[in-house]
Amino acid sequence: MKPKLIFGSIAIIAFTSLLLYNFGESISTYTDFEKAAKLKTAHVPGTWEPEMEYGFSRETMQFSFHMKDESGKVKKVVYSRPKPNNFEQADRLVVIGELRNDVFYADEMLMKCPSKYNATDVDSYGTQPVAAGVQGR
Amino acid sequence: MEGIIGKWLISASFISSIISLVFYGIASREDKEKMIRWGHLFFSLKGLFLLLASAMLVKLIFEHQFQYYYVFNYTSIDLAPKYLWSAFYGGQEGSFMLWILFSCISGFMLIKWTREPYRAPVMFFLTLTQVFLLSMIAGWHSDFLSLGASPFRTIAEEMPNAPFIQANPNFIPADGSGLNDLLKSPWMMIHPPVLFIGFAMMTIPYCFAMAALWKRKYNEWVGPALPWTLGANLSLLTAIFLGGYWAYITLSFGGYWAWDPVENASLVPWLFGTAGIHTMIIQRKSSIAQKSSLLFAILAYIAIVYETFLTRSGILADSSVHSFVDLGLYNQLLVFMLVITIVGLGMFFYRYKELPSPNKEHGILTREFMTVSGSMALFILGAVIILGTSSPIIGLLFNENPTPPEISFYNDWSMPIAIIMALMTVIGQMLFWQKHDAESLSSALIQPLLVTSFATIISIMVYEVRNFYYMIYLFAGFFAIIGNLWVLFRLAKKQPKLIGGVTTHVGFGLLLVGILFSSAYNSPLLDERTSNYNERVLSGEVADEQGFTVSQTVEMLELKLNEPKVLNKRYEVLYSGYTIDNQNRPGQQTYALSFTDLKSGRSFGMNPEVYPMLTTSTQDNIQWSVDPDVRTGWLNDIYLYVAGSSYIENVNNRNAKANQIQPVGLSQDSTTASLGASLAGQGDSTSSDEEAQVISFTRGQSKELGPFSFQFNDFIMVDSTNVPTGKGVGVRAQLDFVHLPSNTKYSLEPLFAVYNEDGQSFTASFPVEIEAYNLSVRFTKLDPESDSIELSIIGLPEGLEDEWILIVAEKKPLISVVWAGTFLLMIGFSISILRHWGRERKMAV
Repeated sequence: MKPKLIFGSIAIIAFTSLLLYNFGESISTYTDFEKAAKLKTAHVPGTWEPEMEYGFSRETMQFSFHMKDESGKVKKVVYSRPKPNNFEQADRLVVIGELRNDVFYADEMLMKCPSKYNATDVDSYGTQPVAAGVQGR
Repeated sequence: MEGIIGKWLISASFISSIISLVFYGIASREDKEKMIRWGHLFFSLKGLFLLLASAMLVKLIFEHQFQYYYVFNYTSIDLAPKYLWSAFYGGQEGSFMLWILFSCISGFMLIKWTREPYRAPVMFFLTLTQVFLLSMIAGWHSDFLSLGASPFRTIAEEMPNAPFIQANPNFIPADGSGLNDLLKSPWMMIHPPVLFIGFAMMTIPYCFAMAALWKRKYNEWVGPALPWTLGANLSLLTAIFLGGYWAYITLSFGGYWAWDPVENASLVPWLFGTAGIHTMIIQRKSSIAQKSSLLFAILAYIAIVYETFLTRSGILADSSVHSFVDLGLYNQLLVFMLVITIVGLGMFFYRYKELPSPNKEHGILTREFMTVSGSMALFILGAVIILGTSSPIIGLLFNENPTPPEISFYNDWSMPIAIIMALMTVIGQMLFWQKHDAESLSSALIQPLLVTSFATIISIMVYEVRNFYYMIYLFAGFFAIIGNLWVLFRLAKKQPKLIGGVTTHVGFGLLLVGILFSSAYNSPLLDERTSNYNERVLSGEVADEQGFTVSQTVEMLELKLNEPKVLNKRYEVLYSGYTIDNQNRPGQQTYALSFTDLKSGRSFGMNPEVYPMLTTSTQDNIQWSVDPDVRTGWLNDIYLYVAGSSYIENVNNRNAKANQIQPVGLSQDSTTASLGASLAGQGDSTSSDEEAQVISFTRGQSKELGPFSFQFNDFIMVDSTNVPTGKGVGVRAQLDFVHLPSNTKYSLEPLFAVYNEDGQSFTASFPVEIEAYNLSVRFTKLDPESDSIELSIIGLPEGLEDEWILIVAEKKPLISVVWAGTFLLMIGFSISILRHWGRERKMAV
């Protein structure tokens, strides 16, 4: 084998392993509130609990609400920015941050709003009285 | 009826495309002119059928035939005609149609201009991709196979189990659910067509590469493929720019790029395409890099199909803020991607042994080496981004439920690659137009390097760059700008038609510099108090009431009506009210803010908006959406949106009351830390609070509230013996109260007390009644830091409470440079297209 080829292969292998190692380090796993307690940064998917108190507080300049994670646990989530657009619309949230003292401090929030695109969603009809919506062909 | 015709048209188009595929396949094998003609005939028929189907869909949309799911889902009666047009490609199915239409147009151009021996196989592969795309909208359903989702399916077909369909199968909704308000933007109207033009054009280098492999003619294909690749890249870049600009001025994340999977997915084909352009150019010039040109042409299209798979299969559901639906096309998309990849790479490796190899080595200081290295760097960058974007798939190697990588993954890898690229562009361009050895190259670089160093130092000083890594990056960026400008000026004198490439490299340098400043030196605009608070948070000095360190800084601030605040010691900002507009977006508020730059004395207004999202709001449950205002400047942009206001809160509270739900008040929450050292009123504020209007005063301030005037003169400290609770400390606010019409004066001294009980501190306030006017005044909050108090007054005429807004404002330096870099890239690509296209056309005749 030519030395150039050996050198090239080593470079490629080194680069790829470093890249993959770093990639592995920079991703984490979706988890629930219970496991989030042990993590520095946790991604917790869940659903908003609209029945419990929520809103933006001018006092603390924080938006807070309650979220139920996938194992059914409900925890308060605090987000230090204004309420995101589409918050109420989202049928699924992912909060990214840290759980401390039973409160989840989210640095980032992702909203999943499928209503516009989701084929099986019928909720959008719910607010229209059916009778008013019927037309003859 | 129309729907059935539409479905038939799409089916006819699909079948025609399969027939033309067969003819083109035979023609490619046997080189029979007659077969090609038949192929062309069915290719044209397919285009015609699809055009008619599209016209039918547009007709349904304009006639508001809401029994069709697509029409119902993406339009509504009140939608402006221009958005009705864009609704045609607003959904997945329509966007596939648009993509195929553009692909057909490119096909006709190929039919006209492609020369032997590539004619038949190029059309064969183009048709192959169209067969797959048409299958996505075929809408064929049988017991064992379901193919595509038709844009002409009715609501009854879409959801046969919905109760209202069961009750009345002929149900037609009175109105559609409408277009998402965020997408009602001229930028979003042109973004998809431009993107799909790019997709359609990027198919063509793939087709040429495959034709070259099939016909074993590995050199001639590059000439005709190059202008298409350039065109595709120009379109993709324009589409990325439009998307980024739209996001910047419309969304509230305040940037143009967020490494979101959907954004990445549009960038990777561009990077691979650009890599291909580099190798194609050097292949034409020096007859090397045949393998890389083929590979990049194939990979660029694979990247497009892979992107389509990622964004449309629903696989990114959790990792992307963009929502895309799973239309049940997962398997079809997967097959499409696998076929394109296996056929493409399979052919490539099948022929690999006989592909031409360079007959001589090129040294490092040659244009051949530099150009190929440049394309490798682009390829590596693309590969890194693909890796990050594929986290839902590749991440499975690391854990069961992988999240996307942190943003730092992208930044950490792209920065060094960008630095290397930037340095290489200059050396590459110098060598491209002139032969150099190490010595002559060094001397040619002396002047650009001097100017670069100068520019870097100036920018480091002006922007107070402290990070050494950023300094190197900046140096590389400025070097790319200045070094390439050097080459540009020389070249423009001699051969002005050839400046396309070097222009793009100047643009690339500008882009790098602009990206660093606009993202790393982007600063929130805050008043002094909030920034002091943030400083304390950052140094870990702020604890919440349970003793936990607060780690989240506050990046917004409150403005009261007609009370100016100074932001970043630089801008005085004044909120002077809002207007309600029912024209464009019913219920929209436009807030009037005026900024005065204390340095230059110039002032300007900003008018951010908040509006109810039409598609999802109901009368008693309004979902507000913000529309930021951006003031564009050469050196800085000011980006600002209103995150909340007293108006919005009142509307929400009124709705909440109407819904019999208790208004949500969070100010008494014990788990959240209060901003600053404010002493929140707790204790006895409960039921009566609902009617109270909260007004804040700084010492010495007076306010008129309807027929009354309040003036807050001073504090009066009270010792514990005079506090009704018998312990703790108390403060009285000394107030002058005037009933203006009768000029009746009162002096009020409401009390605010803080006391301790069982280790917990409580506050208490005690109402002072003014019986003549049926007013009750309580002193509910004290903020020693800003020397201000809050009064809760019951009995004021309605609508007189303090008017306030919450704003998020950011200063973003040199975003203009990002746009300038993008425009230069576009201009450079356009110049190159003209040059290469002109040459090819002469040869085609």
